[in-house]
Amino acid sequence: MLRAGALLALGGAAGSLAGCGLFDRDDPAPGPDPLAPLVDESLRLAAGLRAAAGAHPALADRLTPIAEAHQAHAAELARVIGTPLPSAPAPTPSDPAAADPDAALAALREAERAARETATKACAAAPAERAALLGSIAAARATHVEALK
Amino acid sequence: MTQPTAPAGPTAALADALTAEYAAIWAYGPIGVRLSGAARAAARDAEAAHRRRRDALVLRLSTTGGTVPADRAGYALPFPVTDRASALRLAVEVEDRAAAFWRAALPHTTGADRDQALAALVEYALRATRWRRTAGITPLTVPFPGRPA
Repeated sequence: MLRAGALLALGGAAGSLAGCGLFDRDDPAPGPDPLAPLVDESLRLAAGLRAAAGAHPALADRLTPIAEAHQAHAAELARVIGTPLPSAPAPTPSDPAAADPDAALAALREAERAARETATKACAAAPAERAALLGSIAAARATHVEALK
Repeated sequence: MTQPTAPAGPTAALADALTAEYAAIWAYGPIGVRLSGAARAAARDAEAAHRRRRDALVLRLSTTGGTVPADRAGYALPFPVTDRASALRLAVEVEDRAAAFWRAALPHTTGADRDQALAALVEYALRATRWRRTAGITPLTVPFPGRPA
């Protein structure tokens, strides 16, 4: 049993071996880390802010530090999870930056509000060693809503 | 109120947060007298928020058998407050530092205590952002509110 456990712990390959019946697996494969969606969310928010900054250069000074904060959150979350940060460009934000600057800011505020909720829930559910990071991310997202007013 | 050191447990973490609230309440005295109009009202509002948290912490610590640390007659300010600009800078500093103490409490708390610690971290990070806006300090946000520099 120890041997099988050690082999399975080798990681990524374990999933593809599961179907071939070589090993009797009595442990379910570990699921994705609960923080993995937060990495994607952070990268999406950063991409949305960069797109808006590109479309509205007058807002770039306000939007760029916030985009950088999301990028830093993604990097820190990936470090905590123990996965490399996806190096491919983040998925394009679902909506292209609005043509009107006020509408663009309103859409960004709404995205930050929703993201703040995600981080708040993740912080409440987190083990001790992750609570402070998630708390900072929730607080950062709340301040982004304010800074985008 | 300096940087929080790692508290020994939940009660110590909340006692540390209480000392931060004492210092914040004290600091809003010299801050308030240098401000006028809307900024002065915001300082009163902020001071009231710290008083509410102080009262809740005293109650929480005394009803659960914890030691309630004593308030001091005065606290050393990180720099002299001589005018509006230095008062606003101190207000930013006070909120940032208070946020750090609540962030430090997150790993030591669960359930309702953690929710309250997170609410405090988020609220003080928001107040710091609003003070930066009033003071004309940019960027308005920091990537990881409450995280030791």
